[in-house]
Amino acid sequence: MNAENLQQAHELLHRFPKKSSALIPMLHLVEDEFGYIPEAEVQVVADLMGVTPAYVESVLTFYTLFHRQPTGKYLIQVCRGLSCQINGADDLSRFLYDELGVQRNGTTADGLFTVEEVECIALCKDAPAVQINLDFYPHMTKEQLRSFLDKAAKEVRSGA
Amino acid sequence: MPEMRLLFKNIDVPGIDGIEVYEQHGGYRSLRKAVLDMTPDAVLQEVLTSNLRGRGGAGFPTGRKWSFLPKDGRTRYLVCNADESEPGTCKDQEIIYRIPHLLIEGVLASAYAIGAEDAFIYLRGEFKTGYRILERAIAEARQKGYVGENVLGSGRRVEITLYLGAGAYICGEETALLESLEGKRGNPRLKPPFPATAGLYSMPTVVNNVETLSAVVPIIEMGGAEYAKLGTERSAGTKLFSVSGNVARPGNYEVELGKVTLRELLYDIAGGPPAGHEFKAVIPGGSSVPFLTPDKFDTPLDYESLQAAGTMLGSGGVIVLDERACIVKSTLRLMEFYRHESCGKCTPCREGTMWLNQVLARIEAGEGRPGDLETLADLCSNIDGQTFCPLGDAAIGALASGLRLFHDEYEAHITKGGCPLGEVVR
Repeated sequence: MNAENLQQAHELLHRFPKKSSALIPMLHLVEDEFGYIPEAEVQVVADLMGVTPAYVESVLTFYTLFHRQPTGKYLIQVCRGLSCQINGADDLSRFLYDELGVQRNGTTADGLFTVEEVECIALCKDAPAVQINLDFYPHMTKEQLRSFLDKAAKEVRSGA
Repeated sequence: MPEMRLLFKNIDVPGIDGIEVYEQHGGYRSLRKAVLDMTPDAVLQEVLTSNLRGRGGAGFPTGRKWSFLPKDGRTRYLVCNADESEPGTCKDQEIIYRIPHLLIEGVLASAYAIGAEDAFIYLRGEFKTGYRILERAIAEARQKGYVGENVLGSGRRVEITLYLGAGAYICGEETALLESLEGKRGNPRLKPPFPATAGLYSMPTVVNNVETLSAVVPIIEMGGAEYAKLGTERSAGTKLFSVSGNVARPGNYEVELGKVTLRELLYDIAGGPPAGHEFKAVIPGGSSVPFLTPDKFDTPLDYESLQAAGTMLGSGGVIVLDERACIVKSTLRLMEFYRHESCGKCTPCREGTMWLNQVLARIEAGEGRPGDLETLADLCSNIDGQTFCPLGDAAIGALASGLRLFHDEYEAHITKGGCPLGEVVR
């Protein structure tokens, strides 16, 4: 973890009535910084928490928002809940797979985009819904997805 | 009967997410009344009198849940369940994102009532923006003296701590939520002991849903007796229904319980089916409850009437399917969900959802075999009532009823080698 997150991790140890509660927030810090939970960070977290790396793994593998493999700069999660599905979610996923040349849970070669299909994200009234880096995008269309992809790719190119 | 807005009364007011506007519209009056004019026990009595029932899905009387806390001097905790994950349900999300102070006020008043100095709001991991919205709301409430060491100068301490989950449907089950809040895997706990006696960190704990705690605000304002006059005798008050799927005007709608039928909700309030289509089936209480077909649409929306009609009010997540939707594909989609979300602790749920998923998948793909429908029914009955927590029963709610109500549609998938409706679900 970077210095700032490490400091936050230390603060987390005292935020809750019991230290054990700090583990999930700490894993969020790691996931946010790296886009996944690298092996080396499992050890860092285990040392901070005073538990074994195996214990940290047992917890983090329970939760789908913690990734074991690197994800793209933009994590695109298409909701496949029933309300989204009957409103065209499958079309959105297919569009992304075709457009980006990836499979489900795949990341583009340039490391820009990861596409996942996820379970209900509580935006049923705004179906079909997508979240990108956990920001909600209600009533999503292929056209909106295309312009998001174009814009994101352009920004990265101009920033590089 | 149109909508009746208690929780959503001011939701369309511009700037209501900020404390100034919220206060201008009567916000924090209930908290002042509770903390400055009432004893904690008097607040509890109002909630008991109101007949408020838990709005997360189980419908357990809230006041009774609170009164189970032992009077033994141990530290007590209030935990708000904001893990809204039941497919078809998006009401808590709207409260948190649009009128966050209503929830904060409800949490503070409820913590006062049960004598908890520490309250936790456990948000599903996807509500990261909601976390920031509540963080800001709590900071505003702290500046006004509503949160902190000395609430409104009463000498009472109430702190609110936010906690972000990380993606697990089962954490909506209250004991799994407590495990997760303690930083562990979200496996449900054996009950008893119930959270009231051994909850968070083994201390007496009340876990209530976002909508439930928000409802405490109007209850204090109007008094429990007035609130109890709304709705029916056993289903008091108003309830938020999330209407989604194949419907003209999807949205969250607040109605008086028992005074509006499913038909009125679907047609008068939510605009009926999309133009040129007709309703086929509805799951009225989140994905875990049995289907209702249009012949049952005159059922009033309250706990008892929906139960009598063979389904449940649940979370109020109303998923609507029109004639284009394939029931086999829809129940397969739901089963994939439960298979994914089963924590794996109980064999009937872990293995059962896997087999149900596999058999449904082959039927949907046109590769169903004779006897598959009997296998599905048999698997359902082997899960029914056989698991530790409600997820097992939830997994078979829609499927078991679908097999009864739409038997021909399942049968046709097997005999015709595919969906008789063609490529219906887009």
